[in-house]
Amino acid sequence: MISFVLNALRTTRHNIKANKQVFLMSVATITIAFTIQGLFFLVFVNLNTLLSTWGKQVQLIVYLDDDISKGRMNSLEETFKSNKEVDSISYISRDEAWKGFKNTFSEKSGFVTDLDFNPLPASYNLKFRDGPEQLNNIRELADSLKEYKGIESLEYGEKWISRFEKFMIILRVFILVVGAILCVGLILIISNTIKLSIYSRQDEIDLMLLLGATHRFIKTPLLLEGLVQGVIGVGLALGIVKLIHVYMRFQFQGSLESIFRGVDLQFLGQPLLWAMILVSIFIGWVGSLLSITQYLHSTDRK
Amino acid sequence: MQNVSFTIQEGEFVFLTGQSGAGKTTLFKILFGWEALDQGQVLVGGINVGKLNENNLYTLRRKVGVVFQDYKLLPKKTVFDNVAFAQQIIGADKKTIRFNTWDALKSVGLTNKKDAYPPQLSGGEQQRVAIARALVNDPQLILADEPTGNLDPEISLEILELFEKMNQQGKTVIMATHSLEMLQVRDHRLLILNRGRIVQS
Repeated sequence: MISFVLNALRTTRHNIKANKQVFLMSVATITIAFTIQGLFFLVFVNLNTLLSTWGKQVQLIVYLDDDISKGRMNSLEETFKSNKEVDSISYISRDEAWKGFKNTFSEKSGFVTDLDFNPLPASYNLKFRDGPEQLNNIRELADSLKEYKGIESLEYGEKWISRFEKFMIILRVFILVVGAILCVGLILIISNTIKLSIYSRQDEIDLMLLLGATHRFIKTPLLLEGLVQGVIGVGLALGIVKLIHVYMRFQFQGSLESIFRGVDLQFLGQPLLWAMILVSIFIGWVGSLLSITQYLHSTDRK
Repeated sequence: MQNVSFTIQEGEFVFLTGQSGAGKTTLFKILFGWEALDQGQVLVGGINVGKLNENNLYTLRRKVGVVFQDYKLLPKKTVFDNVAFAQQIIGADKKTIRFNTWDALKSVGLTNKKDAYPPQLSGGEQQRVAIARALVNDPQLILADEPTGNLDPEISLEILELFEKMNQQGKTVIMATHSLEMLQVRDHRLLILNRGRIVQS
């Protein structure tokens, strides 16, 4: 078994050396493809972070009718308090709202201060607990309050959040489709490289068959060769993506911070990194398996 | 090939002859599972060749040593490595490989050339390397497809004697040749193929 493994490794190294140029071309192609995919992932991961950062700042504002009774207000407060997801409740009376409004806008527009009535409603500002379901929790409570008498309107930036979420779903599908197409392309490229490797050693492989080598013995070094291509390719690609990530962080730190509100530019998470490595192993394996199986099938016992 | 039917006993030495294109090589290829057969049954040392699936053909080929007219040596490997190659691919350990390879080279009288490369050798020497390689895995049956086709008559006789020596050691040998000389100097059983049929056995 040890000699089998050693022999496979030796043959793999020998094959790679003998077909260095083709090998490097194939690795370069894999690197480019995985870099593209990696950059997509980078964009996706960071937009996702952005979405959740924004999501955390979302609060539910419940605007009240001017003539809401004290009793209804109390029962509303009870409803808020009984909801476990609600983190804090603050009541802003009509006067407070008006004061705040005037403070914010008085310098910009004179007519506001000239108004002799208060147009603003009183409101409850509800903050929710952090968590992946935060937005859904807000949505649920908002839906349950829609028909509640005494409430003028509800606001939690639903429209732009759902639009952003839809965009993220489309982006996810797009990345998956592009990824799948790249994978198929890479499998074909690796399969061709291995085919060249096979043809450059055709006499030796035929001789191996004649002398009684098992198919496994012949396949293993070639499968390893495909696998090595995949792994080196993805390794280089991840290196490039990391460099781009570091460069972006240094270059755009100030402007990014304002968009991300203190959240740093994220790199791909471990599960994603491992997934990319596993996919590269898979396509290396499948690519070479296609070629070698096809060759053995067409050569051995025609 | 059609209506080909014959039996060769264990330990026999048989000449297979016939014109070019008569089907000698095809017959050999069928015997070691390189070519598929449409009909009939081929038994080699108890193995039903037609019934073996692709993945198990190696079990047959390890029992059969094949020698070709064009030697089929790997030019970038030394004589020793060419012979050892046959042992490596069946997964023998290093010590066994060294021992058996040396033994095989000794039996063909080439130990002094073990570090040479095939292109540095004469045709006769190259064929002896090929024979050593066929021998090294200790096969029951040796198929020699025109092994002397490219060699001088004198050298050819030496090669023939090598095969006969193996035969005396208990191996079954089928040697394809269309050299009349060779057929005349030896009194081995003769199979004649003509247009894919056995005409005399």
